[in-house]
Amino acid sequence: MNPDVAVFLQQLINGLSLGMMYALLALGFTMVYGIIELINFAHFNVFMASTFFGLWFLAFLGYGRNAAPLSGITLAVVFVGAFAVTMLSAGVLGALIERVCLKPLRGISGTAPMITTIGVSLILQSLILYATNFANNVPFPSLIPNERWSVLGSTVEITLKNVLLWTAAIVLMVILDYFVRRTWLGKAMRATAQDSEAARMMGIRIDVIILLTFFIGSALAGAAALIFGVYYGLTSYIVGYLAGLRAFTAAVLGGIGNIPGAVLGGLVIGFVESLSGQFIGNSWSDVVIFSILILVLVFRPNGLVGMQRPQRA
Amino acid sequence: MRMFLGRRMATSFIAGLALVASAAPAAAPIVSAQSEVPSSIVLGINLSFTGADAADAANIRDGALMAIDEINAQGGIAGQVMIQPLLKDDGTVAAGQYDPAQAATNTKQFVAEDDVMAVVGPMMSGAGKAMAPIASAADLLLITPSSTNPDITDPTFASQYRPNGKPIYFRTVTTDAYQGPYMANYAAETLGIKSVYILDDTGAYGEGIANSFEGQAKAKGVNVLGHDKLNPKESDYTTILTKIKAMNPDALYYGGVQQAGLKLAKQANDVMPNLPKMGGDGMYGVAFPQDAGPAAENWFATIAAPDTIDEPVAQDWVARYQAKFGASPQDYALTMYDAVMVVNDTVSRLISDGMPITRENVRDYAQQTNLPTLQGVISFDANGDLKDKIISVFQVKDGKYQYKGSAPQT
Repeated sequence: MNPDVAVFLQQLINGLSLGMMYALLALGFTMVYGIIELINFAHFNVFMASTFFGLWFLAFLGYGRNAAPLSGITLAVVFVGAFAVTMLSAGVLGALIERVCLKPLRGISGTAPMITTIGVSLILQSLILYATNFANNVPFPSLIPNERWSVLGSTVEITLKNVLLWTAAIVLMVILDYFVRRTWLGKAMRATAQDSEAARMMGIRIDVIILLTFFIGSALAGAAALIFGVYYGLTSYIVGYLAGLRAFTAAVLGGIGNIPGAVLGGLVIGFVESLSGQFIGNSWSDVVIFSILILVLVFRPNGLVGMQRPQRA
Repeated sequence: MRMFLGRRMATSFIAGLALVASAAPAAAPIVSAQSEVPSSIVLGINLSFTGADAADAANIRDGALMAIDEINAQGGIAGQVMIQPLLKDDGTVAAGQYDPAQAATNTKQFVAEDDVMAVVGPMMSGAGKAMAPIASAADLLLITPSSTNPDITDPTFASQYRPNGKPIYFRTVTTDAYQGPYMANYAAETLGIKSVYILDDTGAYGEGIANSFEGQAKAKGVNVLGHDKLNPKESDYTTILTKIKAMNPDALYYGGVQQAGLKLAKQANDVMPNLPKMGGDGMYGVAFPQDAGPAAENWFATIAAPDTIDEPVAQDWVARYQAKFGASPQDYALTMYDAVMVVNDTVSRLISDGMPITRENVRDYAQQTNLPTLQGVISFDANGDLKDKIISVFQVKDGKYQYKGSAPQT
């Protein structure tokens, strides 16, 4: 295979992994916005805190920083367990933030709720910093064996990490899609997004739906967090900011409030990041990403997919 | 850490008082008191206790505290002047590592406190660049145990870093003007590397050492395939590493500190496990082999000093350090110990000459230092740089830095 083609394909693989992570994170922004039209900046650091939840859970199971890689059934069980616990704790954290900090502000117009989420975000960051005794770059155990396969006998490589990451992300997105479109609660959620007053009159308990939305969005951030930790082998109290900002961009790119749009936006951002790193320069990735954001906002203010009400959830 | 916070608050209070006091004309020196020796002086210690370099900061701090305890146990400098340490942290949560703005604030506080006669530190060149001009305006002596960016002491930048004219930034290590190039010599001569890709972390130290490595590598005929920058707050370096892998270099050189370095090591191990990887003293740290685990293996790192702690002559010192702190010192803990010893020597020469202990005199006398220490004789050139220029090379093996010898000077 032509080496230029090979490196292009390899960057697409990198971009897909990044994009899946941004997509999972973007879903949380977009779902919350869809329901209560709030940009939830606490989401950045719910993600960051969740990387530590995953790390602590693995340490609790006895997999410290120097744990040997796992294989077969053990790997599957530990990972499903870690996903369940991390997503659950992230979801509870998100729901708690909604109940304690945002519900009292319901109905207040203006920027107060948004500013509150920024404050919550900073508080979470400080709490994690204290909880980790001011550590930076906390290592994750390398539990996934460093297995890799060449694509079509070329230099392009797919690692086991890539495969697990994609599988986890796709499974979660399929479940979310089913939940939103086919279940009674999903229907209630969509109804609330379309018209919360009418939904209330139909007997839907809006507060429960909002709480549920925060729970699900944060749980997806928890999944992204565990994937992040496993993929990079490190976490730190500062990881929420850049990842969160790009995921937020992804949500806006896809049309904020639009679930398929968030996934599409995440993938676009992931590919743009890896390809611009290859062909323009590492230092220019953010410039390219945010330039695209500005162009989309100027020419398609509703995002790539749009914000049509009926699709919102 | 909590102790420092308390101390810092106390210091700001004192600094505030000192500001008020210095506004009054009574603060002018009293001539008759000149020959009187004070019972104590304050020695500032400025390191990066918060963020990615915290473990090394603690290791280096202990070198200073050990020196101070040993001097005070003998009744102080020349048996008369006790040393009171005053610790300040230039690392911030927001930066995740050293923060130049915090370093500047700390320096202003040191300057405002009249009893501070000298400061040991900073650890990082990015902090040093912020501190030097402020210290220069007050003729306050800074002795760094580990900051190696050459610009700070380079006379070309004198108007920037020593506006008052006299050098105030002294070092007990040499600079990246030697660290980068000598490592390039080592790569080309000893390792036989023909092509290299260079990365840096955009910090003052990282850019400086990467540029000086690049210059000498080119002079040695090594093909520099590219030089790119890493954002230390970024999580993903796989993109740039994939790009580098496709170019197929013989080695990767990284100029920078741990915040980006640890992430780079982890991901480089995923993308290119067998590529030789090299760094400067930013990759020489107590936490690196532990945190990076297998990803740290075979990394080369240098320090801008002789590898004294592995020498037989230093074993008694190493044993004292271990007994006191229950941890093994790095070479930069020893250069910190030496920095305090330079202050000790300077002040005791002032006392024996009957000179008053003022910041100006401390600076002037430090310039004439000729002090035998474990790392060799410490004496400074006209810019405050160490006259000895030795770069030691290490490689991580089984989670430990293994000394590979000193890097070739040509």
